[in-house]
Amino acid sequence: MIEISLTAWQILVVKLLIILTVVPVGALVGGYVLHKEMAHMQHRLGPMYAGGWHGWAQTLADGIKFAYKEDIIPASADKRVFSLAPAVIFVPVLLLYLVIPIDRNLIVEDLDVGLFFLLAIGSVGSIGVLMAGWSSANKYALIGALRSAGQLIAYELPIVLSAAAVAMLAGTLSLVGIVEAQDWPFILWPPGLGLALFLLFLVGAMAEMSLPPFDMPVAESELITGPFTEYTGMRFIFGFFFAETAHMIVFAAIGTTLFLGGYKPIVPWGPLDVIPGVLWFFVKTSFMVFLLLWIRFSFPRLREDQLQKFAWKFLIPLSLVLILVTGAWILYGP
Amino acid sequence: MALDVDQRLEKARRPGFGVGLLKGMAVLLKHLFKRNDVIQYPEVKQDLSPRTRGVIALKEENCTVCMLCARECPDWCIYIDSHKETLPPKREGGRPRKRNVLDRFAIDYALCMYCGICVEVCPYDALFWSREFEYAEYDIRQLTHEKEKLSDWMSTVLPPIELEDGADIPGLPTKAISAASASPTVEATAASPANVTSSAAEARPEQAQTAPREASAATTSARPAETAPDAPTGPAPETAKEASGLAEEVKEQQMDAAAEPAAEPEVKRDTQGTVQAEGSQAEVEAKAESETPSAPESTAVTQTPPAMAPVPDQAPAATPTPTRPVPKLEDLEAPEDAYGRVLDEQTKAGSSPQVAEARAKVARVKAEREVTRAKAAASQDATPAPEPSGAPEATEPQPEQGPVAPTEEERGAGSAGPQEQTGAGSAGPQEQTGAGSAGPQEQKGTKGPND
Repeated sequence: MIEISLTAWQILVVKLLIILTVVPVGALVGGYVLHKEMAHMQHRLGPMYAGGWHGWAQTLADGIKFAYKEDIIPASADKRVFSLAPAVIFVPVLLLYLVIPIDRNLIVEDLDVGLFFLLAIGSVGSIGVLMAGWSSANKYALIGALRSAGQLIAYELPIVLSAAAVAMLAGTLSLVGIVEAQDWPFILWPPGLGLALFLLFLVGAMAEMSLPPFDMPVAESELITGPFTEYTGMRFIFGFFFAETAHMIVFAAIGTTLFLGGYKPIVPWGPLDVIPGVLWFFVKTSFMVFLLLWIRFSFPRLREDQLQKFAWKFLIPLSLVLILVTGAWILYGP
Repeated sequence: MALDVDQRLEKARRPGFGVGLLKGMAVLLKHLFKRNDVIQYPEVKQDLSPRTRGVIALKEENCTVCMLCARECPDWCIYIDSHKETLPPKREGGRPRKRNVLDRFAIDYALCMYCGICVEVCPYDALFWSREFEYAEYDIRQLTHEKEKLSDWMSTVLPPIELEDGADIPGLPTKAISAASASPTVEATAASPANVTSSAAEARPEQAQTAPREASAATTSARPAETAPDAPTGPAPETAKEASGLAEEVKEQQMDAAAEPAAEPEVKRDTQGTVQAEGSQAEVEAKAESETPSAPESTAVTQTPPAMAPVPDQAPAATPTPTRPVPKLEDLEAPEDAYGRVLDEQTKAGSSPQVAEARAKVARVKAEREVTRAKAAASQDATPAPEPSGAPEATEPQPEQGPVAPTEEERGAGSAGPQEQTGAGSAGPQEQTGAGSAGPQEQKGTKGPND
């Protein structure tokens, strides 16, 4: 970092301010990318007017529109829980950004248990979803919340196990340590195993974020918006749209960190080292976002039972096998 | 793959696990980089095809308030108001003319389903398809567009497509048909413009008077159609024009028409055309007699005969067959026989694939009828041929043909092409009854030449 003498508190405040600006801006940009990528993949143009140039301000305009909307709390809702739920969903997403190494030294807090922190905080959001669904006093919201809870439990395991395998290979839970432990060719190493773990993580992440094809909790054709059916205005934005895009970006960043070598250049070639790690991280995260959206737009929604079967009968056994293989690789590999 | 049995079976048919998923993703990726075909409408306008059916435009001066469009409209979305206006006579001693004046012509585009039947059905080319399509309104009531707006859209209507070389000119009888049923055809063309100018109901008696005379002249004028295909277009439109009340021209034209066959003495005059002419003429005259009482019409009648009188006398002088064989109903040929003979003559003049095709059709229809007739005869000797089998014996169609013969023939005459011709030939009594039940005579007559 730049050599300015600041106290630890001051540094922390600056870092938090950066996070607090980067995350919303990232979410807005992510929302725009989502609109545009989806539109073009479906042979449309997407937003073209807001802001003038190719509708660049569309998500901003959406945000302003929602900010002006009335904040309605249903009469029979549990008001305190209802009001709190969006924050319980959104704040953990913000917290996830704290431990992700954007560059070798550019990290809010390089925790020794960074990976553990990620996985633990990442699951808190499901409590918020449950709170929202339960307090809404709405059957769609409740069913959505229960689905969401079941899904998060089912898909947390593949994520945790694949992340555990990565930690085993790196020999550390520190995210900087994990990035440092990775080397060319990143996910292709160990051969096959890296890719399998990556795919496992990808599927789990998509389910955890309730992205299609795992969006049963908010299946709009059955459940309106699931747990967010009764929400309006800013609460809806923070609990649902904002959290969704911010969540997507942070999972892309986690995937980059765990599997794609984080801030390292994609090819170990001298001249490429000149490019700052932030840029590499940005490129890789963008690719991950693109990939997540691409998968999201490609596949139709699974049925609830298919989703559960897929998790419990296929993904979790697979992840256990992969843990075994990873252990074998560490013990007997080169 | 711990999935459903169905899914496993489905997978077994596929190349491999996940290949389908990847294929789906590949499709999306391909579309991401494809050129986007979206036309950003308000800024960029689509290049519509020239004859796009956007909205229906009205050419107000062509509308005669015949109400056909309003009646045919499946949605009943056309509103027409009109009043009658009396025009001073064109010549001294003539009768004052009446005509319909269009007061309101509105189409409710909130109801209109753009079927285009009104455009199709309009006999006077008053309705057209326009390419205009941007006429949305904020209020559904404003979608009822009045004739001013409809007329504005006329400026966006493209001119009609040019006819091909040698095509039948719209509004004129087709060659073969004109030959087959000479008199009624020309009568039809003659009758229609009369309606264009004068209101239908008023003009009918007079028209009925002039039309048969025209028809008798037309038998002679239309005959050359068989042998010299280019000839008949000349006299035919003029005869049409005459009937609109221009008596002087009528006279001249009659002379021309009469002179025409004289120039071609080898033209054989068959009884069929004349007989039908007589039949229809007699009928229309009878009708006219019942309707003639008003004074101006009767003067018109008395004025014209001297001019017309020589025509029938002149024509037979040139042709081998004598004048006016007595129209005996029993002597009339069955329609298919008549058409068969016409086709024979046509093939003599010069055969074409269409003629051959038409001949084949006629032959087939004839054969079918023979079969049905034979069957009917075999099954029931005592009773005459059953109705549906439609043996068009001379006696059978006649009672019906009497009142409706002109209209039926006109309809056949107006529509072009060999199919139509054989269709009319083979349809027999059904066709006739259909025509008989289909509304007033003058509208039929006018419809024919225009469609």
